[in-house]
Amino acid sequence: MAILVNLDEMLHQRRMTLTELAERIDITLANLSILKTGKARAIRFSTLSAICGVLDCQPGDILRFSRDEGAGERE
Amino acid sequence: MRHSTALPAAWIFLRILIVLNWIGGALVLGLLAYTFVNEAWTMKALEVTADADGHAFMNGMRTIAAFGLAAIPLNHMMFKRMLRIVETVRAGSPFVADNAYRLNTIAWILLALQVLSMIIGGIGEAISSPAHPLHLDAGFSPIGWLSVVLTFVLARVFAEGTLMREDLEGTI
Repeated sequence: MAILVNLDEMLHQRRMTLTELAERIDITLANLSILKTGKARAIRFSTLSAICGVLDCQPGDILRFSRDEGAGERE
Repeated sequence: MRHSTALPAAWIFLRILIVLNWIGGALVLGLLAYTFVNEAWTMKALEVTADADGHAFMNGMRTIAAFGLAAIPLNHMMFKRMLRIVETVRAGSPFVADNAYRLNTIAWILLALQVLSMIIGGIGEAISSPAHPLHLDAGFSPIGWLSVVLTFVLARVFAEGTLMREDLEGTI
């Protein structure tokens, strides 16, 4: 079971680069890359809110729950 | 907090303690060895009578010294770990797994030292007599045992703190 991040897809739909999004939500590119690749342990509501605000989408458009993927990754 | 003088002072204090601990150990070892080399002189210096009671007292003192020597490496292990913990605090990263392990080890060392203290106190009471009174600052200490429990708890706090820090670092 895992939470999957669809940031790549959303950025593609909005014709926006990761660097541009990082600048607009005032977060480092390194941290945003961690989030995009699904390596983050958690996401703050403030970060999620900022991303949704810039990409004009809902949290569900960025995050997705999957029962099949990521099994056994942690514990 | 980072500009506090307590940490540099603690670091220096621990460095001094490490040296003093070995010097103290060497002195006790030297005295213990000398009781065998020149027993008559030692007994006279300690005002111990040269009878059976006096010899039993001397053997008791030697046993106490031997147990005291056992505390020297334990003290060293504890001081070294405390020094490393102080260094991590000065570096600004105290909540690391290594510190949790160090505190856990320190707690076990404190427990061993408390047991040693009780053994030494017991021997002291056993050999003390009206002819050879012996007053040792050793034995059961409620505060000592409380420090053992507190250190075990602190080790758990650091272990939990390490996990929380790792979670926080992975939060975007």
